[in-house]
Amino acid sequence: MAIAIVFALSYNMLLGQGGMLSFGHAVYFGFGGFLAVHTLIMIESETVYFSILFIPLIGGVFGLLAAIFIGSFSTHKAGTVFAMISLGMGELIAASSLIFVEFFGGEAGISGDRTYGPPFFGIEFLRDVEIYYVAVFWVFIATVFMYLFTQTPAGRMANAVRDNPERAEFIGYSARKVRFISFCAAGLFAGIAGGLFALNYEFITEENLNAATSGRVLLMAYIGGLGYFIGPIVGAVILTLMNSLLSNYSDLWMLYLGVMFLLTVLFLPRGFAGFIMMHQVAWVRGTIKQLALPYLLTGIPALLLMLSAIALIEMSHVEADALQFLGFTLEPALLTDWLMVGIVGTGSLFAVRKSLPRLRDAWDSANIIPNEDGS
Amino acid sequence: MAILTLNNVRKSFGETTIIRGVSLDIEEGEKHAIIGPNGAGKSTLFHLISGLYKVSAGSITFKESEIQDKAPYEISRLGLARSFQVTNIFQRMNVFENVRCALFWSRGYRYSFWHLLGRQKELNEQAMHVLEQIGLTDKALFPSGELAYAQQRALELGIAIASGAELIMLDEPVAGMSHSEAEASVQLIHKITEGKTLIMVEHDMNIVFNVADRISVLVYGEVIATDSPENIRGNASVQEAYLGEVATSA
Repeated sequence: MAIAIVFALSYNMLLGQGGMLSFGHAVYFGFGGFLAVHTLIMIESETVYFSILFIPLIGGVFGLLAAIFIGSFSTHKAGTVFAMISLGMGELIAASSLIFVEFFGGEAGISGDRTYGPPFFGIEFLRDVEIYYVAVFWVFIATVFMYLFTQTPAGRMANAVRDNPERAEFIGYSARKVRFISFCAAGLFAGIAGGLFALNYEFITEENLNAATSGRVLLMAYIGGLGYFIGPIVGAVILTLMNSLLSNYSDLWMLYLGVMFLLTVLFLPRGFAGFIMMHQVAWVRGTIKQLALPYLLTGIPALLLMLSAIALIEMSHVEADALQFLGFTLEPALLTDWLMVGIVGTGSLFAVRKSLPRLRDAWDSANIIPNEDGS
Repeated sequence: MAILTLNNVRKSFGETTIIRGVSLDIEEGEKHAIIGPNGAGKSTLFHLISGLYKVSAGSITFKESEIQDKAPYEISRLGLARSFQVTNIFQRMNVFENVRCALFWSRGYRYSFWHLLGRQKELNEQAMHVLEQIGLTDKALFPSGELAYAQQRALELGIAIASGAELIMLDEPVAGMSHSEAEASVQLIHKITEGKTLIMVEHDMNIVFNVADRISVLVYGEVIATDSPENIRGNASVQEAYLGEVATSA
């Protein structure tokens, strides 16, 4: 999860702050990761001598180098041109990673062993908990630096170029160079995340730099909320939890993830972080309590609706005779079970529609500041 | 001494020629207005000077360097700032950030990622000072995209003047404003361009005659007259081409 947070934050440097939609951000993560594993191997064979504490930094350096190379021609334009180049480069690197077996290890990937590193002030990094602290340390460092970047002239100009590249040129800035700097910074931190991955799992494969990984980081940043620094952190936590918890319960968790992404795009365009921030006005005005009851009245049936939808999907998917669902035993062979779930679902859909206007009214009265003449 | 010289500047888009050989000297410190009927090429001329469009032929000299082949950001760094006819601000950033970004380059921050903005006291004060000048101090933290129209126009001016450029180009600064808003803007323009060179495109003749020391009349891509406001008023060909229309329609 910690790795995902750094990776998602680095992605947000591109999309959220710089307005560059990338479909190939995993390249820098993977490239950093591969070089980190190679470094582990070199430490093992005693070609180089340094503490594995700095492995994530190796990943970062090579993520940065890859970004300098690719960014030198991909940051000419934002928008579609940039997105297409990122997609093309992502596919190119992923495909060649299967061809250059010597370096990338083919489909099996490459693996190292972190326990051969020299001790760092007496710590040998033999226990998992020590690696955990190393990870926490780097995640903290990376997060702090990524936050500080937003507070610098280069970080602010990234926002300005995102909003209006033309005008940025008329206040003295080359939009291309501003994008290039953000792009390199994003590559650096993605590489650090890749290095952390390598250090944590001691192996890395083609899967870590292909389009699926690039897609996942986009989902994290988007679901969390692009406009906010904490957005990608929220997104990384949600996705990692779904991945590790939900996948225990259902084979269809990817489907639910997809539906969640769709619902986020449609109803929460500013992500979960944006949804939380929406309540700032009501919070400051102290009117947030007015929202509690309407939220409950709409939320409970909405939850029921969601659960019955999931039950129906699972019933149509399950191969066994009976399905355990939240303490109920549902048998896909029985028409009555289908009907029962269907009725709960329809009823809650009706309840949601019925209670929605009330929620909307409560929202308006909690947020809209009345004019001074009382109208 | 001329701060800006246009020498036989031409611009064509495909087969259509928009600017047909404009030569113009802008003196240092003068307030120069460019007027002309719709489609005369006034905005195109602005885009050529500021580097948004490349000239098809001719040369433009600003402070002794040829700028016709330079990128907008290079020209901006030489000390030429401009505003736009259509509001052109950084929509998703707040008002203060808009102005502060416009200050970065001239204050030497370049592409720095090692200065923390919270600590740049002088810079932040300068940004607040610009906000004071354009009357948006109380909107400093307001999202610029949600400002009222006249306030966005004021911010547009603020971004243009923040860098402290010697030559300021304003493209229809009061277009679409009510009478009182326009009056306030003229006061603002007087205030912020004091001691600087101004080139302005404007349709409202009252404002042109109020602000300008000299006026150029652009008709179908050619300057047919450059003179003082009094003489332009009395110029027969100008009246025919432009002012006449206004007089009869008013």
